[in-house]
Amino acid sequence: MEGAADAFCCGGCEAAHAIIHGAGLDRWYAERTAYAPRPEPLAGWWDAVPVETGADGACTVHLAVDGLRCASCVWLAEHVLQATPGVRDAHVSYATGRATLRWDPAATDLPALARRIAALGYRPRPLTEAASPDRGLLLRLGVAAFVAMNVMLLAASVYAGWWGGMDPAFAALFRWTTLALATPVALWCAAPFYQGALAGLRHRRLHMDLPVSLGLVLLYGHGLAATLRGHDGYLDSMVMLVTLMLAGRVLESRGRRRALEAATALAGSAPRTARRVAGDTVETVPVAALAPGDLIDVGPGEELAADGVVTQGAGQVRLALLTGESEPVAVEPGRRVVAGALLADGALTVRVEATGQDTMLQRMARELERAADRSLRPTAADRLAPWFTAATLALAALAFGGWYLAAGLDTAIMTTVAVLVVACPCAIALSQPLASAAGLGAAARRGLLFRSTDALLTLNDVTEVALDKTGTVTEGELAVVRADDATLRLAAGLERHSSHPIARAILAEARRRSIPLPRATDVRETPGRGVEGILDGGRHALRSGGPGVVELTGPAGVVGRIELADQVRADARHAVAALERLGLRVTLLTGDRAEVAERIGREVGVRSLHAGMTPDAKAAWVRARQRAGARVLVAGDGLNDGPALAAADVGVAMGTGAASSVLVADGVIAGDGIMPLVGAVRAARACERAILANQRRSLLYNGVAVTAAFAGLINPLVAVCLMPLSSGIVIWGALGVERAVRRDEAAA
Amino acid sequence: MRAILFLLPVALLLGGIFAWLFLRAVKSGQFDDLDDPPVRMLEDD
Repeated sequence: MEGAADAFCCGGCEAAHAIIHGAGLDRWYAERTAYAPRPEPLAGWWDAVPVETGADGACTVHLAVDGLRCASCVWLAEHVLQATPGVRDAHVSYATGRATLRWDPAATDLPALARRIAALGYRPRPLTEAASPDRGLLLRLGVAAFVAMNVMLLAASVYAGWWGGMDPAFAALFRWTTLALATPVALWCAAPFYQGALAGLRHRRLHMDLPVSLGLVLLYGHGLAATLRGHDGYLDSMVMLVTLMLAGRVLESRGRRRALEAATALAGSAPRTARRVAGDTVETVPVAALAPGDLIDVGPGEELAADGVVTQGAGQVRLALLTGESEPVAVEPGRRVVAGALLADGALTVRVEATGQDTMLQRMARELERAADRSLRPTAADRLAPWFTAATLALAALAFGGWYLAAGLDTAIMTTVAVLVVACPCAIALSQPLASAAGLGAAARRGLLFRSTDALLTLNDVTEVALDKTGTVTEGELAVVRADDATLRLAAGLERHSSHPIARAILAEARRRSIPLPRATDVRETPGRGVEGILDGGRHALRSGGPGVVELTGPAGVVGRIELADQVRADARHAVAALERLGLRVTLLTGDRAEVAERIGREVGVRSLHAGMTPDAKAAWVRARQRAGARVLVAGDGLNDGPALAAADVGVAMGTGAASSVLVADGVIAGDGIMPLVGAVRAARACERAILANQRRSLLYNGVAVTAAFAGLINPLVAVCLMPLSSGIVIWGALGVERAVRRDEAAA
Repeated sequence: MRAILFLLPVALLLGGIFAWLFLRAVKSGQFDDLDDPPVRMLEDD
């Protein structure tokens, strides 16, 4: 493999290379490299990639890289790039599938680097999104937080001075320092809010940034005027407001970016080229050139480029991407295969039926994109805030007008600022995040990590739970259920070097029973058929003996049988019962056969089940339930659950499941078992109660305080002291969440 | 009380140093990718 000849990331990769090399398949590498000047997707796309040129003349570019399968892939890609002459720096991220390259334009160029990545078997492509925008937000937040802390200290002394008396010179020093600190916050840190407000105005929409911006401008304007005239302004409130809102923005943009990346990664995961059969020759064409009816060749280790039907050849296809079942499926002429499936071994000729946007893979990618959009859905606080702030502004305007007519400009300004400060939606803005954070913490301690507070809140409205079978209700791995030691010993000897799931299960069981393995010779493994070899002086073979059973035959016929099954998780039955006690209807959804589903259903106590479901069917079922008025929680582990997880009101992935299902889900179960679902539902309910109580408290506070301020009964100083009081009440309310969950658990 | 004339700039300077360190960390990309380092922890080099 080019200059990377002996740079293997791990023993496994080296062994894989040895196998490919030993099998005389070096041509495969050659072919992959030959893909580099591909006509359609690769040629010319780099013209569209924004290259930043730094002050030192080095070029920087951000690319998405598909096909990174493990941390070792990242290691390999990074080291090969770093070893390339002219490259100053290369960073590849596994979590986001992105590469950042910095190079010397005199020594190399982007097309060469892209080819270099492609030569390793990874697929570079332009990022569909501009480089991460939240760096700027983070910078603004850092400055705002620094200023906020200092200004708070200054403000505390100034306010203390109202009672204790303060040297006017010091008071002036503090005021001017505060103004100096607050000015960059108002002008620079808060700029995103002004931009949002202006953009909203241009589109004639009441963006929530508008009232916020108006409030900030008013507060800053008043603070500036007050400082110039030797009075106290309320710049500390303004700085605090900006800091809190920026923190919210940063968290939000993180979550959104991850959802977007999951969707684009899946869309890019299909191959870009295919080998089309044209008469007696085979030509490599871009996928876009394929049309239904074309014949394509697929070799071992290649991914299918289109949906279609096998016309020739045989082999084993790994459909993990679509069905989540890790076991390869044997295919033969007449069988349907889908784009994105990996041909584990064998060789196929496939008649194309669907390409591009019509393939199953692309349909699933679209579902995932819809899920990404869903994370843009405004939270309850977002929906409430504009109205609340608009009402506050209206009240403030009214107060200003009224007091101006009644008592002149100075009183009017003081009253208006008191109204603005006292009604600062801090308590309301805090009430939900704080209680949610407590709820998220309570759920996390019980093993379920939620991505957003919104998901936790939606969990309250959930009326039913749909569980995927493989990997969610069950362990997702085959295990030996019944076998005698003698049979197991011989079978394990035969399977010693196999990595087939059945072999893994047999070997694990033999190890558990500490059975010493015999040495088998002349072992032959026929994909999809079984394994045979010479053991204890006789020819033995291991073959399928019906569903979930393998049969060991010796020279004199059948020696023994081994029964295997996908084990139900230890806590599944308990968890299902607990969910039903919480008033949720539990349904089992599976792509597996009906009899397997029924057996598992009986074992865990689920009455409602649907078997033989495709990923699309699962999502359709979820939507049908939603149309019937239900709110559905879906828990699944494979990418095949992606559409259902996306369609669900709340999607929960198993932490051990496919990476993309984890990325698209609203929450992830860390560790084994589904009991965390129960804990999360309890946490969500306690959280909802706390939020409602908090909102009632802060609304009450705001109602009373704003009325008083409006009536001119509160001067701005008292208002500033009242503000933290209302926040304190809200914090106290949020702390009760964990206690409430424990109470519920004890009662259950 | 005159100590404040000295302490106030010192406090701001100290705070400013930390703010500057944070800004530098953000600009150098240390906060761009918070998911990757745990995956890389076991690498040898």
